[in-house]
Formats: sequence, structure tokens, C-alpha cells
Amino acid sequence: MSGAGTEVSRSTQSSKSSSVPGQRGGPGRQRGGSSLAGDGTNRLLFAALLREEWRLHTQLFGGERFLTFPLLIAVLAAGATVALVETGTAASTVVLGLHVLALGFGLYSGTAGFAGSSMLENVFGGLSLVLGTAATLPLSRRRLLGIFLVKDALFYAIVFVLPMATAAIPLGGVSATTPVDVATLWLSLSLVFAAGMTVTVALIALRTRGVPTWSLLALVAVAALASGVLGSASATLAAAQTLVVPQSASLPAGVGIAGATALVAAASLAVYDPTYGKPTRTAADQFARLRRLGDTVPDATGVNDPLVVKTLLDLSRSAGGVWKPFVSAGILLALVAALVGVVHEITGIEPAPGIFFGGVLGLSAFTTYNWLTQFDALESYLAYPVTIADVFRAKRTAFVLVGAPAVAVPYLAAVLWFEATLTDALVGAVLLAGFGLYYYGLTVYIAGFDPNEFLFDSVRFGQFTVGVAVALVPALVAGFVVVPPTPEVALALAGIGIGFGAIGAVLSSRAGPKWDEKYRHE
Amino acid sequence: MGVLRVDELRKSYGDVRAVDGMSFDVERGELFGFLGPNGAGKTTTIRSLTGQIVPDEGTIDVLGTDPTTAPIETRTRVGILPEQATPPSFLTPREYLEFVGDVRDLDAVVVADGIDRWAERLGFESKLETLHTDLSRGQQQKVMIAQAFLHEPELVLIDEPLANLDPLVQEQVKQFLTSYAAADNAVFVSTHNIDVAADICTRVGIVADGKIVAERSVADETSDDLLETFLDHVDDANARDLPSLERDAIQT
Repeated sequence: MSGAGTEVSRSTQSSKSSSVPGQRGGPGRQRGGSSLAGDGTNRLLFAALLREEWRLHTQLFGGERFLTFPLLIAVLAAGATVALVETGTAASTVVLGLHVLALGFGLYSGTAGFAGSSMLENVFGGLSLVLGTAATLPLSRRRLLGIFLVKDALFYAIVFVLPMATAAIPLGGVSATTPVDVATLWLSLSLVFAAGMTVTVALIALRTRGVPTWSLLALVAVAALASGVLGSASATLAAAQTLVVPQSASLPAGVGIAGATALVAAASLAVYDPTYGKPTRTAADQFARLRRLGDTVPDATGVNDPLVVKTLLDLSRSAGGVWKPFVSAGILLALVAALVGVVHEITGIEPAPGIFFGGVLGLSAFTTYNWLTQFDALESYLAYPVTIADVFRAKRTAFVLVGAPAVAVPYLAAVLWFEATLTDALVGAVLLAGFGLYYYGLTVYIAGFDPNEFLFDSVRFGQFTVGVAVALVPALVAGFVVVPPTPEVALALAGIGIGFGAIGAVLSSRAGPKWDEKYRHE
Repeated sequence: MGVLRVDELRKSYGDVRAVDGMSFDVERGELFGFLGPNGAGKTTTIRSLTGQIVPDEGTIDVLGTDPTTAPIETRTRVGILPEQATPPSFLTPREYLEFVGDVRDLDAVVVADGIDRWAERLGFESKLETLHTDLSRGQQQKVMIAQAFLHEPELVLIDEPLANLDPLVQEQVKQFLTSYAAADNAVFVSTHNIDVAADICTRVGIVADGKIVAERSVADETSDDLLETFLDHVDDANARDLPSLERDAIQT
């Protein structure tokens, strides 16, 4: 104990002293003073953060796969632009779409500097980032955050936004001015991207000062509504378009947007309170309540299993709440609906909506399962007298409880909106249930408790893709060729749905023993 | 009477022999210290004892059960506090302990009583309704200790029991572990902290290179003696790397 006491008094003395024994420079010669101020340190931090960002991505995806990522974006951007222009979409609409994408990505990227370590660890595993060194070095959190955001803006402007700007090539055609066209679009997109980041940072900064985010968003909505009502709607839209598509504005206006973005960003950092902490959350005893509720239904349903209750509580109390699977399914619905529209525009063919949406919406099984496993690890259950098969069984029950309504709502919306026939809607419902269970079983069997590994493991991703294609492609082809489905086709497709559902049930029930074997014989 | 018996246990991960001929036993009433540097094979041994992994060779007897062939039976009988384990982020301590009681098939009244008793003993009564994600690491460790003892098992296996606890709670936990073992139970504590082993254990097995290299009855030894024994049996590199801080602390 005396040793410990000695250590404490030494460290106290060190913190009070103006010079630190053994520190380079000695008293009064610490580089840049006590706060490591100065351009040299800013450059050092910027380089360290940039290197960290690069290594994070190359480590996660593999060097070559990450290096090809901008190429993939460029090919997708240019290819989609060609397809849209060829199908009669106006060039201005394509440019607007690109800017909306950049804005959305910027809004999302603005949260990166504020993400909690537990959130990052859920996605990336154990991490210790340079951004966290404000806790151990004489660097202010605000300053680190500022450099971090500048680094993010530049990094993504090059890795993500620049490839997007290749869309300018098919829009303007190849000519001597092509490099200028690409550069102009890139600058415009980068500006919108930076503005998006700034908006998010500003909202978070104000929140750290006690201003609720919803009140700010409501203010923006009211202002937009008021300008539309009081002023001219077309003038409001034109102003919005100038803000979202800077390249459509005059040069002074563009410079003004850039200056305003920089000013708001600087002000946001000044307002940001690094000491802000989220209020501590308490909760009434929902576990006991849900268990009592589960006791009212037959045991065979598996609902009254404590492992199921825990999974549901994890889902409902994590960010986004119980609505996360519904939002994921809703996004899938929107994408598929847009796809149906594009296909119809290109080919003039509209698929049987029940079969088409039933087959594709089943894919949300992957995201639903991902949400159900996002917040725990299989190893954590091994302290209790439960088998790995028990854990997987509980996840399947939770999947049915959450996944069924999450896909049923968008499916019903789709068949009503696209006016499916009764036969088509019924067959689609069977496909939705069967394929959903199949995709779930496939995911659990291949990826176990870590569905996110699909993103980084090309072998598993390949297996999953082939497994999905085997079921989905024939159903989609039938959905396009026989519209509306004949009774024979309907019966055959219903049989396929039931068959794949059975395969899914087998796969999910075999996942427990498979992963038990893997974990215990590692 | 032995509650835990391990004989010639071996486990390799590829070419790395994590456990290599581990043998020891623990009797009722003992607080057995499993003392060794990081990488000595302590965690792999605990995972084998609780049926989380299957060893390559050797036999294990835990309260008359074989965790290799009947892991659920073993885990039903013992309490386990794994290394670095934290309670589920989005449950409150009350909900988590109810969950543990439910999984262990305990009577709800017994669980409710146990929750209040443990919360009071470890000082987290005011945090019973707070989500774990908003608790400090020390408070989370208290909840994990409570879950390991909730069913009052005859044998508890704990990896670093005092991690993240404040000095006052450390003393309370030490006293509790001592009294719990003395009440005809057994506590198996894995640690690399010589101070902790010397302070609370009745017997210590020193682990190096995947096996027990020395056993000492702590009642007859001071912390310095135990440290010297430790250094004598652990290879030079490990001795220099890992327990040096504890050595300084003891010698000053």
C-alpha cells in the first residue's frame, strides 16, 4: 500500500508541475506549450487520422477490395447515368439525384465523429481510435473533432464523391471539356456532401447544449412550409435547388454556400460541448412483464422463453427501437418499387406484383436477423446452462415474432398499390413466408451469429448469393413471364415457396449443432 | 471431498499448446487461486472446466459431472464469472438477474430475494432500474458477480473477480469469497494478481506454459514468499513482463 501511495503522490506532483521529468525540452520548452498548439501538431494529427482511416478500411475489406471500391462506384454511377438518360430521364434530374445522394451521405457521415465506442465496436470489433486520445493527451476534444471532420470530408470527397462525378462523362459526352465537367460536378457534389456533414454536426452540437433535435427539424419544416405558403412555391423550390445543386447557381452563390458551410461548421465546433453526456436511462421491469405475457400462450410457441424475451428487449431498447426491422423492410420496399418502375419504363413489362414483392421482400430476413444479433455475442450465453442450439432456437422465435409483421405490412401495401389479383397476392404471400424462412435459415447456417461477416468474407458472401439466387431467380422470371399467374403456375410457385420454407426450417434447426461443434471444438 | 478434479488436460489451438498437461484438484472449503501470467493457459482451462470448449486430452470432474460430455449439467451446478464479461447492455440489473434466475430455473421468489440481497451487499440498490449501458464498468462487474452466486452454487469459477471494483467493494468481495468458500463450498479464482491470491486464497496453483508448476498453501506464506515462488517457476520473459508492477508494490 505504501508503494501505491508513493505512486499517487508522484503523479499528483507531476500534474501540478510546469515541467515533466524526462519530457523533451524540459521546463518551458514543451513543443507548442501545454496544449500542443500549432500548425505542426494539426498537420501531425491530420496525417495520423488520415492514415488511420485508410488502414481501418484496408484492414476491414482487404487492400485490393478497398482499392477497387472507388472504381466500382464510378462504374455504377456512369452505368446508371447511361441507363437513365437512355430511358428518357432528363440530365438535370440525374444531376439532382446525384446531389441528393451526396447530401444524404454527408448527413450520415457527420455522425461518425460522435459515434459511441460501443456502436463502433458492434460494427468493427474492438477499436481504439486517435479521436479518443483527447482523454490521455493534452489535446482538446473540440480540436481533434475539427481535424477529424476535415479529414472525413476530404477522404470521402476523394474515395466516394469523386467516382460519383464520373457521371458527368455520359451526361456531357466525351470532349475536350470533359475533365472540367467532371471537376465541376465533383466540386458541386463535394460542397453538398460537406454541407450535409455540417448540418449533422450543427444539430449534434446544439443537442449537447440542451436543444432537442426534433425541435430544430420542426423549425426547418415550419420555415419551409411558411416560405412555400407565404411566398411563391416555385421560388422556394428554385432556392432549394440552388442549395442542393450548387453547380446550377452562379459562381458568387456557390462561393457563398461554401463560405456559409465553413462558418456554420466553425460555429458548430465552438458550440459543441465535449463534456455532454446522454442522460442515464432507467426502465421499469419489462422482463417480468413479458415473461408473464408469454406464460399466457402455449409453450409450443416458444414465446415464453427467457432467451426470446432478452432478445426482444435488446431490440426494443437499442437505438431505433423495435422499428428498425420495419424501416429496413420499408427501404427494401421502396427500392423494389422503384425497380419495378424502371423495368416497366425500359421494357414496358410490369411483373405480377404479388410474386415479385413476395420473393424480394423475403430478403429482409437478413436485416431482421442482423438486428436481432447485433447486440450480443454467442460466447456470452456460455456462462449459463443453455446450449447453443437453445440460443439459435430463441433467435428463430424472435425472428418470426418481429420479422412477420415487418414484412407483412410492406407486402400488403405493395399488393394493394400495384393492384395484384387475389391469386397473385396469395401466391406472393406463400413465397414471402417460405422465402423469408429460407433466407433466414441460409443466413444462420452460413454466418451463425455474425451475419455482418457477409460484408467482409467473399466465400460466405458467395455461398449466400448463390443460395438466394437459386430460389429467387426462377420465381422472378415466372413473375415476369406469366402475368397474372395461371392456376398451374400459381400452384407450382406456392409449392416452391413451401419447399424452400422447409429447407429454411431444416437449415436453421441444423445451425445450432453446427455452430456448437465449431465453438466447442475451436 | 473433491469438487473439482483435473487430470492431464491438454488443449491446442493449431500449433499453439494453450494447456499442456494440467492437473490439479480443489476440495470443499477451499478458495483455490489459479495464479499465472497472461497467456499461461488459465482462460482455456476455465473454458474447458465449464464445457465451453472440448479439450484434446485429459479428464475433468466438476461436482461429479463431466463438462466435456455434459456441459449443461456442469453449468447448472456451478457459478461462472468469465473474463471481461459484461451484462447485456440494454437490460437493467434487475431484469438481467431475473433472466439468469429464469434460465437457471430458479423460483421467482428466491430470485427476487436474491436480487435485493446482492444489490445491498455490493451496493447497487440504487442502480437496479438503470440500463447496464449507462453503468460504470465497476457497477457492471458487481452485477456479474451477483449472477455467478445467484443460485448459491457449491462451486464458483471466477476470472479476475476484483477487476474494476473500488477498494471498498474489493474488500467486501474478498471477505464474501472467503466466507462463501468456508461454508462448505469451493471458489476457484483465476488471477494474475499475486496480492489478490495471497490475500484471499487458501491454496494457490501457479500456472506457466499450460500447466501447474507449483502449489502452495497460502496460510504458510507471505506475499513476498508467494512472489518469489511465482518468479522461480515462471519463465524469465513472463516474469519480467507481467507481474513486475505487483512485485514493486509488494516490495515497497
